[in-house]
Amino acid sequence: MKLTRVLVVEDDVDIQKVIRMSLKLRGVSDVVLVETGADCFERLGSFTPDVILLDVMMPHMDGYETCRRLKQDAATREIPVVFLTARVQKADRERGMKLGALGYLTKPFDPMTLHDQILALLKEHSAKNKEKDGAADA
Amino acid sequence: MMAERNILDSLGSGLLVLDARDRVSFVNRTLAEMLHISAEECVGRSAGEFAVLMSRFALPAALPRFDWPEAFGSRDIEWRDGETLRFFREDSAPLSAANAAQGGAGNGRVFAYHDVSHEKAVDRMKSEFISVASHELRTPMTSIKGSVDLILSGFAGETSPEMQELLEIAQKSCDRLVRLVNDILDLSKIEAGQLKLNLERLDVTEIAVRAICAVKPLADKTGVRLRVDRPLPLPIVEADPDRIEQAITNLVSNAVKFSPPNAEVVVELSSDNLWVQCAVCDQGVGIAEKDLHRIFGKFQQLSEGRRRGGTGLGLAITRGLIDEHRGSIWVESRVGEGSRFIFRLPIAAPPSPNTPALAGQAAKP
Ligand SMILES: Nc1ncnc2c1ncn2[C@@H]1O[C@H](COP(=O)(O)OP(=O)(O)OP(=O)(O)O)[C@@H](O)[C@H]1O
Ligand SMILES: [Mg+2]
Repeated sequence: MKLTRVLVVEDDVDIQKVIRMSLKLRGVSDVVLVETGADCFERLGSFTPDVILLDVMMPHMDGYETCRRLKQDAATREIPVVFLTARVQKADRERGMKLGALGYLTKPFDPMTLHDQILALLKEHSAKNKEKDGAADA
Repeated sequence: MMAERNILDSLGSGLLVLDARDRVSFVNRTLAEMLHISAEECVGRSAGEFAVLMSRFALPAALPRFDWPEAFGSRDIEWRDGETLRFFREDSAPLSAANAAQGGAGNGRVFAYHDVSHEKAVDRMKSEFISVASHELRTPMTSIKGSVDLILSGFAGETSPEMQELLEIAQKSCDRLVRLVNDILDLSKIEAGQLKLNLERLDVTEIAVRAICAVKPLADKTGVRLRVDRPLPLPIVEADPDRIEQAITNLVSNAVKFSPPNAEVVVELSSDNLWVQCAVCDQGVGIAEKDLHRIFGKFQQLSEGRRRGGTGLGLAITRGLIDEHRGSIWVESRVGEGSRFIFRLPIAAPPSPNTPALAGQAAKP
């Protein structure tokens, strides 16, 4: 499995740059950056990422709400969502995971391992899916 | 006598006196009004019966028991009266001073109930402020750490040795800032009584092993060896695994920090009928007797502690975490020989499949 297309929803442009470079460092060339939840939905019309990296504290529509809507819409439901946020408390994490996110990573993150952490989450997810499919076939 | 009663009735705080046989001998008007009954109706009741009256409003309702009669006690209780929720601090003291000569099993206790709702609200606001501040601080820290780490990785091109050294200083300081922000957030949650524990039935051995793995990279730097010593299997405790790991990690990283190179740090696990005990033992600098009481306070560092870096929050948090689990923590130490930081957690009641409702209740802190 390889990570090639990532959609980053993050309102802080400096952090956007750091995320893009840390992914580029590991060979992810297709990183699309948007600043708001609304832009995220618009961009998904023409871009299907392997994963959406989602901040929580953003103006207008926060990350939780964005995730909730993503999971509600049949067209976007299957796209894995990983939170990347400064909200580090247990209750925040639980809230994010309940909304159907694949993972919950916190800031500050380690730019050297960000790629591997996301990939590990995706692998775990696809292994689980295979298991489920296997069980359904049997 | 009449005048004294008047004074006590006019007090803003509720007052309760239990006699030597644990019967109510006095209730002032404030407390009677809190309970919506007359003072006369309370007098003569046993402590158990009085707890039933309390249970209509108070949580926890039962009066605390004391293992030794001289003990002073203080705890916070919730007071729910219809729609309004208030908080009271219950202070209790032995009632023996006047006729101590009679000695024996004490002469009863006096309980005072102070309304601390306002303090609680302020604590909550303070804690909310700190959690917002901690989120806001994380954003710039993320870009600083990210940028510095990326440059140090060589991603942006060659750096001279001097640049490398300076960037490493920035990186180290940033990591320290992150830890500091995390610690302040934890401490504010503990102080506001807002720490939520995810209790599980667990064996502390596994947690101790995890904590040791977390500290190993630090220990390796000075060749300090880490070991868990558990001669006998441990009974199960009900605890939050992440929080207990945090407590043990704090103690072990202190032990490593204050040990000479190549020394040994041992986590000794044992138990008796009531407690599981965890002792983190080092052969380090030790702590003078006169300082033992203050190292658990926040921002308290001895001169050795300041010299070796840190902030002085580790032990304050550790104590808060253990207290939240209804455990206890203390330290034994000798200068130049080493220290033993010991904590105890109550053994969990055996799971009772017949009464799941009760088991669920017991799981709440
Ligand atoms: N194992 C130990 N041996 C000797 N002194 C200790 C030991 N553990 C703690 N102390 C003393 O107690 C002080 C407070 O410890 P605490 O863990 O709260 O703070 P710290 O380690 O200095 O900083 P922080 O944990 O916030 O990084 C230390 O600064 C040190 O002086
Ligand atoms: Mg410490």
